[in-house]
Amino acid sequence: MNTLKEWAYRNMKGDPVIWFIIILLSVLSILVVYSATGSLAYKMMEGNTEYYLMKHSALVLLSMVSIWLAHRIDYRYYSGISRLLLWISVPLLVITWKFGTNINEASRWITIPFINQAFQPSDLAKLALLVTLASMLSRRQLKISDFQNAIIPMLVWIGIICGLIALTDVSSAILLFLTCMLMLFIGRVPVKYLVMLVLIGGFSGYVALSIGQRGDTAISRINEFLDDTPSYQARQAYVAMATGGVFGKGPGQSDQRNYLPSAYSDFIYAIIIEEYGIIGGILVLLLYLALLYRGMKTAIQSDRPYAGLLAAGLSFAIVLQALVNMGVAVGLGPITGLPLPFVSMGGTSQLFMGIAVGIILSVSRGELENVGKPMNNQYKEAA
Amino acid sequence: MNIKKSILLRVRIAFLMVLLFCMGIFYRIIKVQYVEGAEWKALAQTIGMKVMKVDATRGNIYSDNGSLLATSLPYYRVAFDPSLPDDRLYESNIDSLSYLLAGFYKDMSQTAYKRKIDEARKNKRQYLMLSRKEIGYQDKKKIENWPIFREGRLRGGVIFEKVEKRILPFSHLGYRTIGTVNDENRGVVGLEYSFNRQLAGKNGQMLYQKMSGGGWKPVYDGTETRPVDGYDVETTIDINIQDIAESALYRALVSHQADYGTVVVMEVKTGEIKAMSNLSRNPEGKYYERYNYAVGSQGSREPGSTFKLASMIALLEDTNLNLDDTIDTGNGELNFFEEVMRDHKPGGYGVLTLKEVFENSSNIGIAKLVTRHFNKDPQRFIDYLYDMGLSQPIGFQMVGEGKPYIKTPADSSWSGTSLPWMSHGYELKMTPLQTLTLYNAVANNGKMIQPIIVKSIRKADKVVEEFKTKTLNSAICSKSTLKKMQIMLEGVVEQGTAKNINNTKYKVAGKTGTAKTVINGKYTNQYYTSFAGYFPAEQPRYSCIVVIDDPKGFQIYGSDVSAPVFKEIADKIYATEMDLHNATLVKNRDFTGIFPVVRSGNRDDLTLICNELGISNHSDESAAPWVKTDIVNNSIFWKSNAISHQIVPDVRGMTLRDALYVLENNGLEVEVYGHGRVVGQSLNPGSKISSIKKIRISLG
Repeated sequence: MNTLKEWAYRNMKGDPVIWFIIILLSVLSILVVYSATGSLAYKMMEGNTEYYLMKHSALVLLSMVSIWLAHRIDYRYYSGISRLLLWISVPLLVITWKFGTNINEASRWITIPFINQAFQPSDLAKLALLVTLASMLSRRQLKISDFQNAIIPMLVWIGIICGLIALTDVSSAILLFLTCMLMLFIGRVPVKYLVMLVLIGGFSGYVALSIGQRGDTAISRINEFLDDTPSYQARQAYVAMATGGVFGKGPGQSDQRNYLPSAYSDFIYAIIIEEYGIIGGILVLLLYLALLYRGMKTAIQSDRPYAGLLAAGLSFAIVLQALVNMGVAVGLGPITGLPLPFVSMGGTSQLFMGIAVGIILSVSRGELENVGKPMNNQYKEAA
Repeated sequence: MNIKKSILLRVRIAFLMVLLFCMGIFYRIIKVQYVEGAEWKALAQTIGMKVMKVDATRGNIYSDNGSLLATSLPYYRVAFDPSLPDDRLYESNIDSLSYLLAGFYKDMSQTAYKRKIDEARKNKRQYLMLSRKEIGYQDKKKIENWPIFREGRLRGGVIFEKVEKRILPFSHLGYRTIGTVNDENRGVVGLEYSFNRQLAGKNGQMLYQKMSGGGWKPVYDGTETRPVDGYDVETTIDINIQDIAESALYRALVSHQADYGTVVVMEVKTGEIKAMSNLSRNPEGKYYERYNYAVGSQGSREPGSTFKLASMIALLEDTNLNLDDTIDTGNGELNFFEEVMRDHKPGGYGVLTLKEVFENSSNIGIAKLVTRHFNKDPQRFIDYLYDMGLSQPIGFQMVGEGKPYIKTPADSSWSGTSLPWMSHGYELKMTPLQTLTLYNAVANNGKMIQPIIVKSIRKADKVVEEFKTKTLNSAICSKSTLKKMQIMLEGVVEQGTAKNINNTKYKVAGKTGTAKTVINGKYTNQYYTSFAGYFPAEQPRYSCIVVIDDPKGFQIYGSDVSAPVFKEIADKIYATEMDLHNATLVKNRDFTGIFPVVRSGNRDDLTLICNELGISNHSDESAAPWVKTDIVNNSIFWKSNAISHQIVPDVRGMTLRDALYVLENNGLEVEVYGHGRVVGQSLNPGSKISSIKKIRISLG
């Protein structure tokens, strides 16, 4: 036991609470996904239920590895890397839109040659945009009210990336846009400019809807949501939650997994409530809140605005997506198709979520060495 | 306010917003569970979702010329929801419906049907199976128009449950070879089993929701998988030959009251199985197809004298013996250690030539020859058998091929009597198909090929997988040995044990076999008779083996029991296949005077036709694509028929197809009258095409 502790102490640097939360979510993830993929396994793999268990466990492990790798890198390096990746992601998004693999009638995936792994460039773009935004915001703190020089470049990037993502995936684009807005808000951009940002977002969203592939889906989902009678998926999710009770039916005892489409991703929260009850549902909610709280704490304790904005921005990005997913499952919003971070089954998005947490952890462990000159505290200079 | 404080303030505001959203989620969970809970739980009770199988249609099995050997047809079971018809409809029609049901199914009286339905209706049952009998589509159409039922599913309550049934259009023909399927549409024996993977296809599945009425309605939620229909299997079976083989075998089995019999007919050059019939007797003395003795391990038996072919090949290969070399077979009894070997003829054959040993099937003769030559090194003899490929299964396409058993001197069961007894087909095991493969090799000039029964796997007209003839052994023996064997096999029928089946029209080559059956380790007086051979011996076309096990009565030998079946099959195939007859007949047919109508058309086409029919044809040097004809003596002379732009072409004498092609290519609109060849055209050939683009052509 002690050796394990020592090993963890030596290798898992940064905020131990964040590590703990992620490990808890991962264990829950394997349990629930194994249960929820039962009918998928019968359909696609001729009853080989272990197939999805093995595949998902491997991905969970991979995302843990990506956390570990990402947290070992000094967070200051991410600024440069992300700017480069942001440039790369633009053509990638266009390629995906034009030539991507179709899954569920949306081409969000491109298949990486040689290793034959489907990957969503929007995940990469999202992460790169958020990190870049943190860096841009921090460098402009002293002239943050200067619209022309400080805000326009950021708006351009947000507009391009969100617009391109919206071509294939409206929900992700909207969520990313909102997250960016929240980040600008935190980064002291005056509220009047934020209103302007909403207008730009609305416009590029409209354009994407009219020329992209997913406009009709988005509209029909919203109509479905506004309609009084819940959709088939939503009704099945409500049945799952209603029959769960306070303590749930127990692990692996879900009945609704057989009727609830995408029980292993979009609606996994409903299955969690069915199997683990209200208790389980609240626990998961609290885990994400705790993650956000620790992320904020990291932001508060950091010395530079860049570090703070980076930690806060990424924490909000993860938790907002989690809340949207849970909100959809309980019927607070229209169906989005966004996975629950660290819990849902889903290829490379798990990987990028892992990298995001890794970056937060990297911030929480502080600067690894002073690069060149003595550490200068920009907060003091600014003040 | 300094930057850090300002940022922290904004972070906290954002956190509060998130907290608010979490409260919202919490509120929804509580609301769904406690406020709307009852409603959703009730939905859970009635939800009745079921993922149900959508059956894939099983592929067909075809004969070599595309006749259906096995196919799947829809059948129906009739059920009834007696709660659906309203009182007026029900009361006024139930009597006539019961009457019709009783008349159709004939299993219950009219009053019994009425009582059964009345009771179900009183108990508000929503489902009543009227009869488990499966009815065809025509009957279904009839029943749909009966009173009450004609109101349909929703008002009349009639339910037709579809079941797919496997139908063999030729009923019993090749029943066991084709095979059968079980209730789940899975092949259990025969080709249905061996090729189940290809035939079955892949079942799909779909989510169905139970409706309040009791029916199931598909939920298209994007998770359904479509069934993939099975592939068709094209066999090599020839329905006519199968019929001939089966009826000949059947008659023989009945007249000899034998236990079982099997016949395999194979095409010599290709190894294609043209017929494979197996009949066994059931306890009531009736014959039916139960087990594939030709292929399966139960059919792997001691072959008896048909195996002398292999012994003789080994002997001839290893020695320089000639067919007229002699051997003394003595008085028909010979001791090998404590065992006595006997010949069929009382008193023995005395001195025989090698050829006579084979033709008269002298056990002593072959055993003496083999032991004399191989006694010092029995392994050499075994090596010859192995080299011919007799020790290995032939790798037949049907599952469950019996393994041949040929022991070696190294085996613990090898004894001093092994070599002489093996030489005439005892102490070893082979299936009829394996024996036939050896005989076929002799017929096929020494090339041993693998028998095949499935030519291709098809999806409609597309070939998915093709099976080619495979060579197992390109030469089982030397040319001179082969020649000798062929002479001896013909001799068996000309003057040997099978001379009873000799005929003058064509030659048969083959060998009889009669083996005593081992029961509880002792040879008994039950016999396993066989005849294997090929015909016509001059130019072998088919090889065939007939095996009849345990014939009763006075006829117990292969020559009396199995050989006549072979003859009947060979005669009938010979009679039906014209091209087996002497070619001279065809040559005498008179073709002169039939000269095809060739007047005008595409030169390549016409040349091809004329060359094919052997009509002499010439042309001038120009290689014009379109030609007219002149008759010069007995041959055709092609004249160029120039087709140029803007000039009306000459299409007289052409077929309509050619004429349309030529005219429309020149931009003309064509009107056609009559049928036949073009006899006239409304625009003069050679004139310029003016503004009038319309041309009328008359055919005759």
